[in-house]
Amino acid sequence: MGKKTETNRSYRDRNASVTVSVSFMVHLICVLGLAIAFWVAQNVYSINLVSDPTQTLILLWVVESPIVILLYSLLRRNPEQCSYLKAVGRGIVGLPIGALLMAFGAVILGAPIGIQYLEKTVNWSLLMSLFTVVPTACVFGSSWEDWQRLFAYTKPVEVLDYIICVPAHGAVIGTWLGAWPMPLDWERPWQEWPVCVSYGAVAGYLLGILASLAFMLVFGGRRQHLKGE
Amino acid sequence: MDKLKVLQKLASDEGSSSRIFKALADPPTTSLQRLKGLTTGGLPTFIDVGNSFGAPAIIEDNLIYQQLVQNGKRVLMMGDDTWVQLFPDQFEKSYPYPSFNVKDLHTVDDGCVHHLLPSLYEEDWDVLIAHFLGVDHAGHIFGVDSAPMIEKLEQYNDILEKVIDVLKNQSGPGGLHENTFFLVMGDHGQTLNGDHGGGTAEEVETSLFAMSLKNPPASIPSALDSSSCRLDSDGKKICFSTIQQLDFAVTVAALLGIPFPFGSIGRVNPELYSLSSGTWNPPGTSASNYKHWLDLEKWMRNYANVLCINSWQVKRYIDVYSASSVIGFPSEDLRHVADIYDEAQNNWSHRAKNLSLCGNEVPNESCDTSLTILQGKIDAFSSFLASVAELARSKWTEFDLTMMGLGLGVFLLSLFIHIVAIRRADKLCQISDPSIGDSGISLRFISTLFVVAIRACSFLSNSYILSEGKVANFLLGTTGVLSLRRSIMKKRMLIEAVAFLLLSAVLRFTTEIGLSKQEGVSVFMRMLGIDEGHPVWMFIPEIVPMLALILLSYLLLRSTADNYCWRVLKYFFITGTILSYMLIAVHWALESNMLALPLVLGSVERNYVPRMIYAIGFGQLSSLACAQFFKQETSNYTESVLIKTVAMLSAWSSTIIIILGRQGPLVALACIIGAWCVIRLGTLEEKAKDGTIGVFTTDPIPVTQWSLLAVCLFFYTGHWCAFDGLRYGAAFIGFDEFNLIRQAILLSIDTFGVSHILPILGLPFLVLFQYPYSQGTRGRGIFSVKLSQVIFPRFDCNELIKWVFLIHNNAGLWKS
Repeated sequence: MGKKTETNRSYRDRNASVTVSVSFMVHLICVLGLAIAFWVAQNVYSINLVSDPTQTLILLWVVESPIVILLYSLLRRNPEQCSYLKAVGRGIVGLPIGALLMAFGAVILGAPIGIQYLEKTVNWSLLMSLFTVVPTACVFGSSWEDWQRLFAYTKPVEVLDYIICVPAHGAVIGTWLGAWPMPLDWERPWQEWPVCVSYGAVAGYLLGILASLAFMLVFGGRRQHLKGE
Repeated sequence: MDKLKVLQKLASDEGSSSRIFKALADPPTTSLQRLKGLTTGGLPTFIDVGNSFGAPAIIEDNLIYQQLVQNGKRVLMMGDDTWVQLFPDQFEKSYPYPSFNVKDLHTVDDGCVHHLLPSLYEEDWDVLIAHFLGVDHAGHIFGVDSAPMIEKLEQYNDILEKVIDVLKNQSGPGGLHENTFFLVMGDHGQTLNGDHGGGTAEEVETSLFAMSLKNPPASIPSALDSSSCRLDSDGKKICFSTIQQLDFAVTVAALLGIPFPFGSIGRVNPELYSLSSGTWNPPGTSASNYKHWLDLEKWMRNYANVLCINSWQVKRYIDVYSASSVIGFPSEDLRHVADIYDEAQNNWSHRAKNLSLCGNEVPNESCDTSLTILQGKIDAFSSFLASVAELARSKWTEFDLTMMGLGLGVFLLSLFIHIVAIRRADKLCQISDPSIGDSGISLRFISTLFVVAIRACSFLSNSYILSEGKVANFLLGTTGVLSLRRSIMKKRMLIEAVAFLLLSAVLRFTTEIGLSKQEGVSVFMRMLGIDEGHPVWMFIPEIVPMLALILLSYLLLRSTADNYCWRVLKYFFITGTILSYMLIAVHWALESNMLALPLVLGSVERNYVPRMIYAIGFGQLSSLACAQFFKQETSNYTESVLIKTVAMLSAWSSTIIIILGRQGPLVALACIIGAWCVIRLGTLEEKAKDGTIGVFTTDPIPVTQWSLLAVCLFFYTGHWCAFDGLRYGAAFIGFDEFNLIRQAILLSIDTFGVSHILPILGLPFLVLFQYPYSQGTRGRGIFSVKLSQVIFPRFDCNELIKWVFLIHNNAGLWKS
């Protein structure tokens, strides 16, 4: 294990190919995908999260999943050892596993259970999985060390870490905050599960992307600069 | 459930002589409050709910005493003994029956039935009150949708049929019940669980059936008629009107022809008032259209007069109230109300002179105009009364200032004591180990502070109080996730973290399911789609608690096995506790009908088992207290504290378990698992720092988790923060008759047992297990610091929360 880590480290140092501009493009395409999905829902099917949460969530994750999986597979670690198709496969496997994790977390924190909520919960957790687990799965695969580094210690080191880690944390925190209006007695349709939670997730994700870009410009850029010298 | 068919039938058959009203009660919907409201016509003050157990007599002006009795009416009462507590010696004759034993569905009702029908043939009363209680108790014990409830309602239907038969037979001219007015009403509703006390629609909306034995000659003009009709299943038309229970006192006073109660702010309800023929002129001989007009005009004149008196009475009360009360109403609202009153009054005195009776000969134009004018009057007075009632509902927050001040004082005092204790302990430590200084504020500390702050803030919002259990669970889950993250980071104790998360999920499910009356286990069975009738599954709800009990005693044995001090006491305690566990099992076996034990024991003998358990628990506690005095200091401080804690917990546990009922052992198990997880996760931090005790910042997350877990357990055991959340049934385990102090103690043990008593007593564990190696005086110093630091945030947030909660309830009840 230790030896493997050593090799990983060396690869990472040698292979700092992901630059700020690349990550900017990745983020841009992801955000565009989300925007397109929302636009299609609004204008083609004339639905939105409030009126028809299940359908909208399905549309969102169906549009977003190929974009995320294909894009992040391009950024995979160790391109020499791991083929593009393998990375895509990891992403596809990661999607339902992440969804399970997310659904478990949501149920622990108080998501309603019952047949009528099942569809919504499943679709919401698939979307959450796309924001959090899938990019990591595509890039790092099953490397426990990297997962631990990103999600337990929250110590992103290089540009690639920032791309994955900060938006994922943003999405989770946004979801957590998004749950707060739910018990209020305003009796608005958007207080239903999982409408405001989904809004919170998307908003958190977008903020996370902004934050990750800022981080990269501040830290990543300096790092690149140092490297250049 | 449409069980009282006879009333519906009467209301749809007999046209205008009987009617069903939807009566809207004002919260809080506890019986005592409703009776007060019904008899005084005022809004109940919130603080009175606390008196619901030992009702003090009403001293305000009320229908029964000041008005009925002083005006020489004879009142006959039967049923609920709350009436006798409210009106100790005003009744001519009374047959009270005890009302607080909720398990007893029949005593009160049978007593009522026994006295009611004979009384109907007597002439020695003017007003008869029969208060049945079976439905209320059936709801409390079994829930609304249950067989005993249906039985009770069917029984009531029969009784009502009989009563109405008797009344009708005697209702001819000159008969005993010629002028009788018959009212059937509920003082409050019930939630689906059969509880009441709050302000939800199910609790507030009740029905009122009114029947006059003599038909009134005409019906009131449609402008005063608020009824809405619908067709029932047989195609008959059933009409409902709406009446405020606030209006009941004055309306009945007007019907009986007695003065209105002084403190009433209700309005004489036109529909109920018109139902009695006594408010109309005696029927004349000429039955014509003209006669009808005349009747109607006279009735409206009569009603307008009544309203005028009514308005005067309310105005006088409002004036007196705002002159004498410290808080009173806002002056601009008062002025507004006064303006409306003046307008109505001027109008009245002005027009009354001009208003001529409409012509004696033919119905003409003036008749119509006089009707319109009268209608205008009635509207003016009604709008005045309505605005007063609205004002009172919105602004009437009668604070019990002394009690609130006392509560605040206690809170501040406890805060002060905590601070002093911490300072002292700090000093002690500085002496023993001067190297200890304050260290920086960690991220975990901030996150904990954040969670506690959120929880405290959430208590400022009404809707968060309603879903407090969910919010607490959400926060518990959040801290669980944080711990999981921590344990992934340290690569240790993953099992504990996951178990903690699972536990919080389980708590949440059962809280949601368990809010219905049934035992959690059997509902779980039904959720899984398992047929209830299957014999194997029938036994599981019986056996699972027993197994849990056995597991508990095993855990107790094991936890004490490796301690060597206090040997005698220990054995004494262990045997006592295990004996009471066995007694609990025996008690359940006796109660269960599954095992088909012959009923060898009467109900009295059966009560001995729980009483023995209480006695053992009490004996253990007092012997522990004695031992505290006689035992000299042992060298091993930690160990002795540990054993004392275990003894304390085991002494309390049996009592709490039996009061909680069958869920008890499961709750205790959940408690132990949760506590174990919290403790283990707490040690995560310390061991990482190479085992030294030098670092002095307490890790605040375990404390927060501990406290949140306690809150979750409170909801898990089927309580919630409302007066209907009290489990009255628990107060009668082991006792059949009601005794205020005894039952109040049992009820408070039930309410606070798992959420406050056990966790607070268990707190030393949290500290001990984090520092297993500390010895001697230094260990003691550390221990006390830790303990106070541990207790401090918990109490802080708890008490603050409760205080805020108290105030909020006082102020917010009328808002919602």
